[in-house]
Order: sequence, then structure tokens, then C-alpha cells
Amino acid sequence: MSALETAPTARTWPQEGPGRAPYWVFSDPDVYAREQALIFRGAMWHYVGLEAEVPEAGSFKCTRIGDAPVIVCRDEAGRLRAMVNRCAHRGNLVCREEFGKGNEFYCVYHAWVYNLAGDLKSAAFRRGLRGEGGLPADFRLEDHGLQKLRCESFCGLVFASYSPDTPPLADWLGEAGDGVRRTLVKPLKVLGYDTQRINANWKNYHENPRDSYHANILHSFYGTFGMSRQSQESAMIIERSGRHQYFYTKAGTEKSSADYKETASGLRSHNDGFKLEDHSILEWRDEYGDGISVQILSLYPSFVLHQIAHSLATRHLVPNGPDSCDLNWTYFGFADDPPALTAQRLAQTNLVGSAGMVSMEDAAVCNMIRRATAGAGDAASVMWMGGKDLASGGSSKLSERGLRNFWHTYRTDMGF
Amino acid sequence: MPIGEREHRAIENLVYEWARAVDEGRFEDLAGLLVEDGEYKVASRYNVDRGLPLAVIHTRSRGQLRDRITSLRVANIYEAHCYRHLVSGVQAIGEEGGAFEVRSNYAVIRIMEHDGASSIFSTGQYRDSVVLEGGTPRFRRRHVVFDSKAIDTLLVYPL
Repeated sequence: MSALETAPTARTWPQEGPGRAPYWVFSDPDVYAREQALIFRGAMWHYVGLEAEVPEAGSFKCTRIGDAPVIVCRDEAGRLRAMVNRCAHRGNLVCREEFGKGNEFYCVYHAWVYNLAGDLKSAAFRRGLRGEGGLPADFRLEDHGLQKLRCESFCGLVFASYSPDTPPLADWLGEAGDGVRRTLVKPLKVLGYDTQRINANWKNYHENPRDSYHANILHSFYGTFGMSRQSQESAMIIERSGRHQYFYTKAGTEKSSADYKETASGLRSHNDGFKLEDHSILEWRDEYGDGISVQILSLYPSFVLHQIAHSLATRHLVPNGPDSCDLNWTYFGFADDPPALTAQRLAQTNLVGSAGMVSMEDAAVCNMIRRATAGAGDAASVMWMGGKDLASGGSSKLSERGLRNFWHTYRTDMGF
Repeated sequence: MPIGEREHRAIENLVYEWARAVDEGRFEDLAGLLVEDGEYKVASRYNVDRGLPLAVIHTRSRGQLRDRITSLRVANIYEAHCYRHLVSGVQAIGEEGGAFEVRSNYAVIRIMEHDGASSIFSTGQYRDSVVLEGGTPRFRRRHVVFDSKAIDTLLVYPL
């Protein structure tokens, strides 16, 4: 970690605390560099893929943690491994395919070869030729492996960490682990990928799925076509450190109340008269047996797991500099899904992702926030729904408690 | 048997008609270019090449396509923009049972209203099955296979 990236910062957070986030935090390149060191290479677990993407010994996948390219693979013994995709010699990629299977990582530049654990096994012309050239006699292969990361999995989700200080994955997940365990009940089968490129800071998106307040207001498809409304039974669970959270809604639990009707009549999204010609896209049966039709789970700093009716996906948030990020959606079902259920999961992809009729607008809002906060000076957002502190707001969806907890965690990690 | 000149012109016109309707914002006209149970699907080459079934848009009837158009008119939020299609290489590559397999290439330039930015939003291939109903060509299947795995911001208007 470079001293420059982690030195004390001159930036100061607004007095009011975690209910305010200054807009410079989204645009300042120095903040971005600091995040790379303290968050993405810090003592966190970062999602890197699904076990189903690296099913057997030798399977590998390339991804990123923050800016850094990372390989996740299974070694000869089938053990999950993660390492930085950067040759120890001159910094080239040692793996150039996104997915594949092999028994080594081979740098094409000078043929330095690593095994599936990331250990350097050979370097071309290491002994030189005819007594000339070559590496020094005291060069030790074992000192020049790929940078290895810790790697653990939880219910088929694979995470990696740069730090020996990160607690074990299950402890790190805390109560959020319950939301994962409830959803990923069987081995998974990948159905496909979608990359949504957002022209905004990664935190503009990170805030979004933690913000249950916006869901039925911005996403008017829900309300317009009667899929989910604020008046349905719902809850918000925030993991005790405040890093992670999930919220859920139960379909068919519409409660009519006078104050709901009064407020909802002013919402753009509320339209009792609208019906789809073909309602089949919304068909849902309670496959988990707990009545939950929508669950959105966010793990700090860059991961979302969603169940939206039968659509199941992970969303991996990868920053591309202060003003751009990629949201990588991986859609899946269970390996033993009957064809009709797979078909319904696929049909409900129409609701989510880059072209999702429910949620496409999230990226548009992130882009608009980036434009709106340009030249904002010291201005800051206000997140006081449900109260101003970390504990207030209870489990209501009409609360910004999850956002306050995110910003509290972020400030702590960043030293602001 | 080589496709007749008249059929070829009719098929080509259908391909252009779709592009022009989208570019002119006449999304309500698209469903009529499909047969009643016609399929419209938009999937990335990235998924198609890997044999993965995911599509970002998949409608299996005129009604489902109309629902998507209703959604973009009344529910969805996005910044104002329009498309310009450049369509080339319309080629009938086979015929079976009165349905023509047709391929063509497209580039879609997206023009944002707020700052006038014009950029290549999507390129790809149309993989169509076209039938002639009483001389009128319609899509029985229109698969859009887009080349880049990434979609900038969102895809709301059909390609």
C-alpha cells in the first residue's frame, strides 16, 4: 500500500455524520485511489464469482477486485484459489481468457509459468545459454509467485481477500449470511451474463440497492402493474457492523390503509388501472415457501444478490475510475430446475438488468446524479429517512438506515 | 432454389421498415411486423457463443412486445435519446416450409438529447425468420445478437 494513497486526508466529512455524504466523495480522483488501497485491497471480502463458474480442477475465471485483475480457479486438488493476474516478472496478464480450463498459467511475454496455486514453476532461459545471460544464481522461484489472495466460498459464492486480517467469510457476512443461505439452497447453474456500464461513480450504484425507499417510487413498473407496493409486508435486515444488509417484500400481502392511499395517489408509479396484455411474465409461485417474492441483498463494498420473483442473479460492481463502473449481472438457476422453471427465470430477466422493465432506470439515475453533482463544491446529500443515526429507522423499507450504515462504514475504512 | 427478386425485395423492405419505425420512435408499429406469436429476442454474442440462454429482451408474441412498449411509454425512466440504424448486408440464406432465414448487420448510433452526444451504442446481427402472409412479409422470429457484452447505461428502445 503506498503512503501516498493512505496518507491522512485534508477532506472533512460534514458535521452531521453518516446521514450526509459530500458529493466530492464521488468525483475526487484522490479518493478513488485511496479506495483502491483501503477498500478494494483492504481487509474486506470481495465477490469474485460462483463455484459453478469454476466447477472442476483446472477451471478458472478472470475477474477484477477494484482496478486489479484477479484469477479465481480450482487447483489440482479442487481447492478454490484466487490470485492477482499479473506476472511477477514484468507485470503482464498470465491469463487472457475470461473462462477456461488448464493446468498452468503461462505468461506469453517471456514464458514464465505458474501452477494453479500461483507458484512460479519455470522461467524461459532461466540458466541463460552457453553460460551467458539468465537469472542470477540465487534467484528463487518460490519468491516470485503470483500475488496470492485468500479465497473462501459461501453457499456457492466465491470471495477473495487481500488481507490476512479479514475475519473468516461466514463471520464477515454475519446476519447477511442468513439472506444468502435462504436464497442459494442448491447447486447453481449459470444462465448468462449482462454487463451494464454506468457512467457514474461506483458508490452511486452501491447506494442504490441499499436504498429501499426508492424502489417503489422510481421503479414504477412495480406499482403500475401491481407487482410490489410499499404497502406490502416487508422488512430490512442490517448486519450488526452495518456493512451488509438485505430487504424483502412478500407478494400478496397488500394492506390497504388511508395514509398509504393518500400518499400513493401522488406517486407517478401508482396506477390502479394498468394491466399487462400478457400477465405471464409476472407469474410467481412461492418456491422457497416463505412468501418472499423480492429480496435484495447488498454486501459491502461491491456485491448484490437478488431474487425478483423467479429471477436470481448476482451483481458484481467493478469500478473503472471515478466516473465509470461496470455492473456485471450473472443470472442463474439451480442445477436441478425443471425446464419450465428455467424458462420462467429467463422470462423474468425481462424485468431486471440492462433492459429490465423494472430496474433499468437505476443506471439512468446514477448518470444523472453524476451530472447533477458536478461542481457541487462542499454540498452533500441528506439521508434522514427514519432518523439521523445508525440505529434509527428500524426495519422499515421507508428508511435510509442502510445508507447511513454504509456511509459510516465507508468513513471508518477511509479515515474521513 | 434461389429466392425470387420480388420476395427478396419484400424481405429487405421488412428489415428496413423495422429500423425506420424504431428510429422514428414509432414503437407501437413494431408488433405488426411480427406474426401473432412472433418472437423478438435480444441476446449478446457473449452469451450466444457460450451456449448460454440468457436474453436481455425476450418477447414471444405481439402482446408481449406491446407490453414492453407500454412499459417504456408509461413506466420506465431514462434520459431522452433516439437511435439511428445503419442496416447492411441483408441476405436470405435459406428457405424452409415457406419461411426464409435472413441475416443482416446493424449499427445503432444513440443520440442523447441533453448533450447531443452521438456514439455507437450497439452493433450486431439480425437473425430473422420471415414468412410471407398473402404477400406481406412478417417476422416469425427476430433474434438480435449484439456484439459487445456491455450495454451503456440501459437498453430501453428495441434494437
